[in-house]
Amino acid sequence: MIVALAVAPVVLVTMLIGLRGVAAMRTTSDFLVASRRVSPLLNSAAVSGEYLSAASFLGVAGLVVKDGIGSLWYPVGFTAGYIAMLALVAAPMRRSGALTVPDFAEARLGSAALRRLAAVVVLVIGVLYLVPQFRTAGLVLSVVTETPYWVGVVLAGGVVSATLALGGMRAATYVQAFQFVFKLVLFIVPAMWLLIQAGPEVRTDAVQPSEFTHFSHDTTVTFRVGATLDVPPGAEVIDREDGPRELRPGAWEVPPGTTVTFADGTPVPEVRGEAVPGADGWERPLLDFDDEGYPLLGTWAVLIATMLGTMGLPHVIMRFHTSPDGRAARRTAAFTVALLSVFYLFPGIYGVLGRVLVPHLYLTGATDSAVVALPAQVDDGTAGTVFTGLLTAGAFAAFLATSLGLLLVVSGAISHDLVPGGLRQLRLAVVGAAAVIVLLALPAATFDAGTLVTWGFTVAASTFCPLLVLGIWWRRLTAAGALSGVAAGLVSTIGSFLLNVAGPDLHGWVAILVAQPAPWTVPLAFVTMVVVSRLGRPAPWATAAMLRLHLHEHRLSPFVSRTQSDGAARDLGHSSWPARRSSAVRRITRRLGR
Amino acid sequence: MTGRRVAVTSPQTRLAHARRRYRGPWRPTTLDPAEMPRAIALYRSGRSRAVSALAALGALVFGLPFVLWLWPALDEVRVADVPVSWAAIVLVPFPAMVTVAFWQLRRAEQAERELLDADTGVGGGADRGADNAETASFGSFDRTSGSGNSTGEGAS
Repeated sequence: MIVALAVAPVVLVTMLIGLRGVAAMRTTSDFLVASRRVSPLLNSAAVSGEYLSAASFLGVAGLVVKDGIGSLWYPVGFTAGYIAMLALVAAPMRRSGALTVPDFAEARLGSAALRRLAAVVVLVIGVLYLVPQFRTAGLVLSVVTETPYWVGVVLAGGVVSATLALGGMRAATYVQAFQFVFKLVLFIVPAMWLLIQAGPEVRTDAVQPSEFTHFSHDTTVTFRVGATLDVPPGAEVIDREDGPRELRPGAWEVPPGTTVTFADGTPVPEVRGEAVPGADGWERPLLDFDDEGYPLLGTWAVLIATMLGTMGLPHVIMRFHTSPDGRAARRTAAFTVALLSVFYLFPGIYGVLGRVLVPHLYLTGATDSAVVALPAQVDDGTAGTVFTGLLTAGAFAAFLATSLGLLLVVSGAISHDLVPGGLRQLRLAVVGAAAVIVLLALPAATFDAGTLVTWGFTVAASTFCPLLVLGIWWRRLTAAGALSGVAAGLVSTIGSFLLNVAGPDLHGWVAILVAQPAPWTVPLAFVTMVVVSRLGRPAPWATAAMLRLHLHEHRLSPFVSRTQSDGAARDLGHSSWPARRSSAVRRITRRLGR
Repeated sequence: MTGRRVAVTSPQTRLAHARRRYRGPWRPTTLDPAEMPRAIALYRSGRSRAVSALAALGALVFGLPFVLWLWPALDEVRVADVPVSWAAIVLVPFPAMVTVAFWQLRRAEQAERELLDADTGVGGGADRGADNAETASFGSFDRTSGSGNSTGEGAS
């Protein structure tokens, strides 16, 4: 009940703030980029609020419980992406004046085919990223309130699409900025309380990793999804009626929906294909996937995907377009690094406490819910319930904020880039896209949120990252080069995912490069773009189009600057048009090549 | 100031917004040749600054895992009971990344300000204070007159 009381205000405030944005909404630009009037601080709070998704709020701590301390590299990559963005993309992208990434592609390279391909990539990233958000919303609500899974999914879909269809980006900005502060407080305060409340014994255990081999108390585990366990000899469960009974050693297929209470002191069953929390290698600060023995490769692969993927995430790029100018966009990126750095100091605390207090979550694969499961372990009174409620509210805010931004870019891709239309169509697209995502999320309860989100990052890193970096900094990029590079990145990443899901059992470094394909798909996309562009000729206006992105807005008016800075040598004051002929531009830009 | 905001548009504008939108024929971006040297200077300084910032970031983000991989003994060293290698992946990267971000921001803004000062300074020969005042006034002029982006807007 108290949890419902915690989630309801989040939902209500989201809707109320959303409604504030409705009155001033007139055009597509209002809807998509809040008419570009958002200050850097507000915008960076909104960027951070949007970016701290379920994967950050719950996922990182869950991965630490499951895979080890090395999972703390994910947040480092998430944050580092904003520095790359600040240095390479933020200001020029804003100065392009485009509304969405496909818009930018068309403005820079003049190809309608590229625009449509970019819109398709936005849809792919959006779906890969939105489905796990809705799934986790459903899962967390079902864990803490005993409601069925679909209730949470439908509730999340309804609130997000209603807020967005009415208020657009303006509403989303205020909602996300509010939710960043909300999430920050709801993450830091419970972390401190947990650390203090847990007591010296748990704190010592937290920094002395030991393998989870025996249950330290009677532990009730609910299997929402079926699992296959390897039961060791001597494992006991407690039946509600019959009291303790010993399990038959060997494989045990647990059907979905079973609740099992393991007895105090009995050995822990193992999950097929998963390492036990606290096992050898858990304490290593590197990501050794499936214990294949390539920790450095695994860590670097994740860092490449998250860092370069951040630069290409369409909903983050869209947020930079709400800044009034390129300078504000750059400031937004820098402030975002600072805000995220504060937040990411804390997931590790939940992770190491979770390994001590709730290691049994690994049996069900639901380590995602470690953060919300912790308070009840530390305090079974009112305080524990209150903190569970607060963390659930924070987690719900995380899904809402991220889903708002993603749904906005998905509907923007449909209604602005694929089938251009007016504001009403854009609103309909929001509702339609939300309905489709809800339908996709309903059967996705078994998917690992972390995997899907990392795939979203990998797709972004191998498609939009090369497109933006080369589009902004390399004047010889051609439309054909960009098209083939984006296509190569998209096909190779999706092929790699399919191979990973349905393909043969792989081992060694090949397995890591198939599961985490960023180290080869990103260079592949870059090389394809460069080689194909080199084979063709860039359009005559390409250099001007690229340089235009680097020209800052707060320069003098052309009429003043000409008479002042160029003096009498060139009289361009009468009519600028002859001088703007592309031949004149070419003559001057030839200098660049020398 | 009732706080309520009302859409004020002419009937024509409302009709135009309600109508299905056609994008005009695509036109290449134009750049005034008079502004070309400035754009080239900004492009070059931006590129060199971005390369150095990314080199620093890459050294940090890819070098730290390498160091931790090279010296597994760091797992055993403990400060206040916490292994050094655990603390190293939280307490080293984040402050370092904030530093790199603000360093890059400051340099990028400085480059643009210098060019702006150079533009204003040539004709008048005014002192530095006047330069800044002039710069500021143009800044506010630009802000009030719209997003200051004339050519790119047409492309969308």
